[in-house]
Amino acid sequence: MPALAHAIGLAVLAAALALVPLFGLNDFYLQILFTIGVNYLAAAGLNVLVGYAGQKSLGHAGLFAVGAYTAAIANIEWGLSPWLSLLLACGFGAIFGLVIAMPSVRVSGPSLAMVTIGFGIVVEKIVTEWTDIFKGQAGFYGISAPSIAGVSFTNLHWVWFVGALCIATHLMLRSLLAGRYGRAFLGVQMAEPAAQSVGISVVRAKTLAFVISAVTCALAGAVVAQQNQYFNSDFITFNLSIFLLVVVIFGGSGSLYGPLFGAVILTMLDAWLARWPALQHFTYGALLLFSLYLMPNGIAGAVSGFAARWRQGKVAAAAVAGHSALAASAATAGGEILVVKDLYKAYGGIVPVRTVSFAISAGKVHALIGPNGAGKTTLLNLLSGHVAPGSGSIRFEGQEIAGWPAHRVASLGIARTFQNLKLFGELSALDNVLLGAHRHIETGFVASLLGLPSSRQAEASARADALALLTDLGLGERAHEPAKGLPYGLQRRLEIARALASKPKLLLLDEPAAGLNPQETHELGEVIRRIQQAGVTVLLIEHHMDLVMGISQHVLVLDYGALIAEGRPEAIRQNPKVIAAYLGADDDTALTGDAA
Amino acid sequence: MTAFLQALASGLALGAIYGLIALGFNITYATTKTFNFGQGAFLVPGSLVGVSLLLLAAGKPHFGNLTQAEMTMTAYVLATIASVVVVGAIGIALYYCAIKPFVGAGGLNWVLSTIGFGIIMQNTALAIWGPASIAVPSPLGSEVWRIAGAGIRPQEVLIAVVAVAVMAVLDIVLRKTRFGKALRAVAFNPQAAAIVGINVETIVILAFVISSALAGLAGILIAPITTASVFIGLGIALKAFSAAIVGGLTSPRGCMLGGFLLGIVEALVGLWRAEMREITIFLLIIIVLVVRPSGLMGARSVEKI
Amino acid sequence: MDNRITRRTLGALLVSTGMALSLPALAQNEIKIGYNADQSASGAAELGLSGLYGFQAAIDDLNAQGGVLGRKVVGVVRDDAGAPPKSIQNMNELIDNEKVAAVVGPTNSGNALAWLHIPQQKKVPVISHVATATDITARYAKEPQNYIFRVSMVDREQLALLAAYAVKASKSKNIAIIADTTGYGQAATKDLQEILTLHGIKPVGIEKFGPKDTDMTSQLAKLKAAGADMIITGSLADATAQVLKSMEKMDYYPGLLSTWGSINTPLVNIAGPKLAEKTIFAASTTEDASDRAAALHKRLVAKHPNMPAFVSAAQGYDAVMLIAAAINQAGGTDGPKLQAALENLGAVQGIIKKYEKPFSKEQHEALGVADFHLAQWKDGRVVKLDDAVVKGLTAADLKR
Repeated sequence: MPALAHAIGLAVLAAALALVPLFGLNDFYLQILFTIGVNYLAAAGLNVLVGYAGQKSLGHAGLFAVGAYTAAIANIEWGLSPWLSLLLACGFGAIFGLVIAMPSVRVSGPSLAMVTIGFGIVVEKIVTEWTDIFKGQAGFYGISAPSIAGVSFTNLHWVWFVGALCIATHLMLRSLLAGRYGRAFLGVQMAEPAAQSVGISVVRAKTLAFVISAVTCALAGAVVAQQNQYFNSDFITFNLSIFLLVVVIFGGSGSLYGPLFGAVILTMLDAWLARWPALQHFTYGALLLFSLYLMPNGIAGAVSGFAARWRQGKVAAAAVAGHSALAASAATAGGEILVVKDLYKAYGGIVPVRTVSFAISAGKVHALIGPNGAGKTTLLNLLSGHVAPGSGSIRFEGQEIAGWPAHRVASLGIARTFQNLKLFGELSALDNVLLGAHRHIETGFVASLLGLPSSRQAEASARADALALLTDLGLGERAHEPAKGLPYGLQRRLEIARALASKPKLLLLDEPAAGLNPQETHELGEVIRRIQQAGVTVLLIEHHMDLVMGISQHVLVLDYGALIAEGRPEAIRQNPKVIAAYLGADDDTALTGDAA
Repeated sequence: MTAFLQALASGLALGAIYGLIALGFNITYATTKTFNFGQGAFLVPGSLVGVSLLLLAAGKPHFGNLTQAEMTMTAYVLATIASVVVVGAIGIALYYCAIKPFVGAGGLNWVLSTIGFGIIMQNTALAIWGPASIAVPSPLGSEVWRIAGAGIRPQEVLIAVVAVAVMAVLDIVLRKTRFGKALRAVAFNPQAAAIVGINVETIVILAFVISSALAGLAGILIAPITTASVFIGLGIALKAFSAAIVGGLTSPRGCMLGGFLLGIVEALVGLWRAEMREITIFLLIIIVLVVRPSGLMGARSVEKI
Repeated sequence: MDNRITRRTLGALLVSTGMALSLPALAQNEIKIGYNADQSASGAAELGLSGLYGFQAAIDDLNAQGGVLGRKVVGVVRDDAGAPPKSIQNMNELIDNEKVAAVVGPTNSGNALAWLHIPQQKKVPVISHVATATDITARYAKEPQNYIFRVSMVDREQLALLAAYAVKASKSKNIAIIADTTGYGQAATKDLQEILTLHGIKPVGIEKFGPKDTDMTSQLAKLKAAGADMIITGSLADATAQVLKSMEKMDYYPGLLSTWGSINTPLVNIAGPKLAEKTIFAASTTEDASDRAAALHKRLVAKHPNMPAFVSAAQGYDAVMLIAAAINQAGGTDGPKLQAALENLGAVQGIIKKYEKPFSKEQHEALGVADFHLAQWKDGRVVKLDDAVVKGLTAADLKR
């Protein structure tokens, strides 16, 4: 949403909140406003987890409970002030967010649903059964509400307070999600291996999303307990977990405004339907059943569909001139940048890489060739850390990196592309490149959350650099289009752009010419030459021999997982072992022809 | 020792029920990567439809209570068939309303749509039968059989026998018959299956019919133990879901094994402290999944890079 | 979508909204009584629904006699689906929007506890017609005006009766407690422990089970091993029936004392008529206790053939009648005056009994231990228990 419209919207909301007393609303309506706010708080954080990081949780009632019980126990049992209790609730929420993240980040799909359901139920049972501490259904009575200047919160104050919390939460999440953290979450959701290849730790990103969602859910729980002055175990049910997820998905997960739509509509619907007791369950069921069919991306998706129609084509140009990563010419001296020794990997009986040793010298273009199934991609995956080796050593600039996770390898300056494209499809080309630059955008979490000037500046200069790089690679015109909408050839080039944005020392390209037409292949050769000129060492896997022979200075030949030859291109062309390997393979034209 | 046997017996009976429902989850998950999250609601008509038909046949209102004399084995078999057929047919509606629009779309929309379908079904049942539970006599009577001091109800034995028989038959069907092969083909690659002349949609619908029918069967099998009511489903279905995940959602035998395992563990934890059952079970499940993310017998999925 | 249908739906919506808006204006003269209870979502929904039938029947009867103070009585019904947030919201709506004179409800004690402060602060009397937790009427007992009343069993009272019987009847004085894990069961456990302490007895075992469990043999085995010869349960009828069935499995029959829920037919239906006779329970009224009860039962069953719990219906009915009497006495629906009237009622004819000054400043329970008796199922009917132990019970035995 454009900044001006956003500012106006916020001002209108704040004014409406300030004017609430003028409407003469009774406690019923104030309670509804309060509930909308609480549901928004919980859903806004959950949306970060579900919509951005792609982790579907069915157990957030457990985190709601953490907040509510912390607020209750801190105030009643430990005698802490309500304000302190609220803070403590957020803190405990964060801790329990970590607790649920630990098992959750290891699983996916239905198993993730199970782990989160399990967490929710365990919490529910603990607060129900462990009556010595949590008082079960009898509950905590007399939880104090916060007060300002000695005046304890009334329902009107609560609406104001929760409204303020919602606006603050919205602003922080808006700032956070627009920057590198939001992109990292989306990157993890859309293509984990690609996210790792640009230096994002998937585990840390998911954990962070769990913690964010836990804090807002816990805050929502704490606020409910304080406003109601009473809390018991009946509040915590599996249904609450489902409801929170419904608010997010019905509203539109992955959209900043989805939780707002969800919270407003579902809360009001619930209140409005109460007068027809028999009807409310049916309506709720029908809503779940049909609304997502009519609006697959929730209300926010439907609304933005409309909005997009008249906003088309309005794309802001970059205000600052950036530097293309390709322009940075820093030719490095020779020397071995990567040394591989006795690298070995087996999957059961299949051994795609058997004790391979070689060295890559800096500043050159190296090609890795071999017949189909020779183990080239596996070798590349071992180098990039996407697959852990069985044994052997990989030294990058003297540093042993064998067995390191992909994101740590990436952070040393090894970037890669993928044979089967792994772009962040829903994101724009620009965002893909910005994700590539992830580890260079030096913005702390807090700075990003609060939208501090330092973070905005870093973001703006990164955008300018990314645009410059895209323009440099002929993608400037299409920087704002979703990656999945680009023609295939441009998608391949975008992957290279993304990898370059991470300013690598070593670039691994996995069949960059696959599926390209001759013109595009020729252009690719030029790009690779420019990459080399920019001082980046390149290792490419390629079947396309014209390209290989034309641009590389050093060729490695892999067959059945073993290195059978290496040397200068013209020497490899003559090597009898290599010829035998290729003639033995299906594709006997490979060495001379231009097979893809 | 007697207490142990006692717990084992009821654990096996309940585990058989979990296994039946879990197997249903496996069959639909294999074909569409979805399953009915609202399966609990399908136990409700399973437990009530057949019984109500018997009541109507006996000239009583549909929400009354059957006497032991009216519940002969023939009557029970008829009621079971009626329940299974009706709930199986509801499975077709489920597919068209809640599954088909979302197959292959990714995301979690199908979870919410199936929950929505279940809510509508449960409340329809509430409108028809009311909230009270209806006692269902066992066709084998209410005498308790004693084995080594432990009392076992004939219905518990019946549940275990029927469930194991059904599982065995389905196991053979899934492995040996044309249908089973077609199902596996669809599971492996729907496009390829369509090319070789398999009617993919028919197979998928059949999968949902079987899955729903299994839930219906579970409903009427468990009714003499738990009574039939609108509220019996959720807890059982959640445990069945857990059983499927722990056993391995992609493995039919894993799902069945998971069911029995869960039933027995639950009963044994109950021997120690009944109120710790859920806490223990779900903590165990979380630990199992951390060690084996795709379940005990599930195929490990390796993403190709 | 078909345009015509859309327009018609829209029209219907407008009309109904218009009606909803205009109704309050027309209905200045009505007296509204709220009903807020679970009718759909949990096992206790059958009590909430039965209670609703009694509630509505009472309002029909009042209106048939020309209303209260010449004004028509209107019931405003909300379903809280057993969820505290919903229950709170309903309470706000009933009091602030609908401006009800009083509220009857809820079914789940936990829900009541979640919103008690709202009617108390807004000075609207509430009569709990199902929820039994002792705390409900006790929380504001020390306030100048306590707006929470009850026409239902009180856990403490019935448990006192059960405990007295258990202590007298037990030879070994090995008494045990088994209860479900809901708030109801756990509150009962707490109350029972305190009561037994007054008798100088420490229970030999305290066991729990889930409200939907069907096999309590492992818990009972522990109580058997502890030598319990009297077991008191805190659970609803279904679960008590399952306790009996588990006892049958183990062939272990200690004396089983159960709460008020056992009066409902599910106990017989699930446990079977023979096994059902093996529990002694605290009972108030049954459908054939009096002509009035029989008449109400007949009338309600004609309208709602699957009504499961007559006692709840009777209590819902009586709650409305007490409120109506108080409105008559107060000459209006002003909250504090109504509360005062409730505490100073004269005689009111109800279904369960004829109430003589049912409430006072100190006493907010319309039913007390004197209204309960110990009963047993016999040949499919509830009969009053009159054995030697009961005869030997004195007022001093009722420690509470």
